[in-house]
Amino acid sequence: MSQPMLSLQLAKSSGNAPKATPHLLPCRIHHNGPAEPAQSFWEPTVGDDGTRTAYFRGRKLQGKAVTLPAGCRGVVAATSAAAQEQSRRPEEAEVIDLDAEMPQGTLQVQAEFDEMVVWGHEAAVDGAADPYLRGVDEWLALADKIHSYPAPAASKEK
Amino acid sequence: MARTRAKGATGAAAARDDKKSATTPKAASSSIYTLPAESDSNPPKLFILPKSASPATRIVTLQHPRYNKPARYLVCPEAGFFEFTTISPPKSAPRSWLIQQQSSHDDAQPTQTPQTKTQITQSPALHLATPYDPLFLLLPALCSNTDAEQKRMFLSLEDHLDTTPDPAKHLAEVLATSPATRQLVEARLAAVCDVVQAGDESMYRVSEARLVREVLDKARRVVDGDNGGKLPGSMEERFVRKELEAPVLGVRVARGGSGNGNGGEEGSGTPASASEESQESVESVETAASSASEMSAASTAATSVADEGDGVASAMTAPEEVVKLQRLRVAFNFICSSYVAPRIAEMLKGNLAKATELVDFKPLDEYLERLAKLRQEAAAVRSSDFSRKRAADEEQDERAEKRRKQEAEEKAKKANMSRGVKNLMKVNTSGMKKMSDFFKKKG
Repeated sequence: MSQPMLSLQLAKSSGNAPKATPHLLPCRIHHNGPAEPAQSFWEPTVGDDGTRTAYFRGRKLQGKAVTLPAGCRGVVAATSAAAQEQSRRPEEAEVIDLDAEMPQGTLQVQAEFDEMVVWGHEAAVDGAADPYLRGVDEWLALADKIHSYPAPAASKEK
Repeated sequence: MARTRAKGATGAAAARDDKKSATTPKAASSSIYTLPAESDSNPPKLFILPKSASPATRIVTLQHPRYNKPARYLVCPEAGFFEFTTISPPKSAPRSWLIQQQSSHDDAQPTQTPQTKTQITQSPALHLATPYDPLFLLLPALCSNTDAEQKRMFLSLEDHLDTTPDPAKHLAEVLATSPATRQLVEARLAAVCDVVQAGDESMYRVSEARLVREVLDKARRVVDGDNGGKLPGSMEERFVRKELEAPVLGVRVARGGSGNGNGGEEGSGTPASASEESQESVESVETAASSASEMSAASTAATSVADEGDGVASAMTAPEEVVKLQRLRVAFNFICSSYVAPRIAEMLKGNLAKATELVDFKPLDEYLERLAKLRQEAAAVRSSDFSRKRAADEEQDERAEKRRKQEAEEKAKKANMSRGVKNLMKVNTSGMKKMSDFFKKKG
């Protein structure tokens, strides 16, 4: 189950990556890939008080927008096809030694986002229980604190 | 048209079948749209990455120090190491991503209605990259032998790295290509090691005391955060508040004419005052006084809420110092259980308990001991309450049963009597002769 090393392929010029808004729907959709035309089934509206409402297949959904903390950016990315080929054949990756060229795939950034919307049936999701909201709110901050360490230069001065 | 299924968990095979059927436009479908063909089997994923990641960033597979399994990490020469945490909801709550993306040519004409591209990603996973201290990666190699500290050798960075498990050889590759990453790892290594200079090379040997201090510092940093020294909400609730919460006792409060007499006296005879006394005996006077005042405040608050009759008051409230220590311990244990192999975690915890000059958990331990006793008492009281109640109930039940039987018998008797007899029973027969008199022998 060895996976190749991936390099991060950013958009051609940074800041120019197309903006996207990921919506986390409260249902599973057995489909991967484009779904056009979206206007026919997905038209979220933002109310005056900031509540987001959408109707999806006749069901009322309420959304909660999650803004990513500063210092983070959301990325929609796919591993490149070449990398996938290699990850399909794990036995090949295992015999590779250091002299050989490292298997290098790329993680191709397709779009960036700084806000995502988590949708719930009828009511907005509960911030204390939903793993997505907690992950973004709590875990990012906690991990920052646990793993912060003095910068290498500072530690040398001690 | 996107097709949704209400049913949650379907096997992988079924899901594939569904996908196939979804891609083939059905003639029976009345929809005017057909679903575009699925993209290749490599749908886009969602990541949350640090902004500081440079183009030289690599995503690599390294050995997870706790679970001894390969895991994905992100390594950037400038920003350091990051670990990936994947959020995916339980099967019971199926989710999928719908990604609306503005097409790139939109920037030219922003005034027009935005042209969006919509795509669906079935997998609800969201990959979070969070900062990661490379120190944890080195730990398994540093503490490889459990023997006494003296037996460990001073080794160079290379030797340490050679013993660091590296399943995909990615760590070696990253370190070889990026001197900055190498420097960072070395600095982290130096933070927990005794260092000697051998020629122009530094040699390192892990120092358990420094390691404990380093992990404790991390725990302190978590606790001394900007949000009032609290752990994140859900952790605070579960591991601090719940753990320190005293059992709730039904305290019968006598609301006399004295108005709000102080709570300590009102609760006299309950374990609250008993624990207060023990507190005074073991702790310094001022903490006891402060906690006692807190306690009385708590119970007066409870009495003022419950106007008459039963007031429910918590038996004891944790002093601020104890709460802080509990937070620190939770943070320390969390780090140990997430990033450190069980064997090393044991060692760390043992050393922490010994190292009282770093942090003294004595007040917390004493509090927890009292709390355990209190809980036991409360449980005992409750269970004895139940048994007494049940005994009383049974007695009552028996009595009621008897009464019911008697009544039933009487009813049956009455039902057998005729109406005439019933009427005659009302007649006053005191002056009359008994029927038997007529059958006596005349004397």
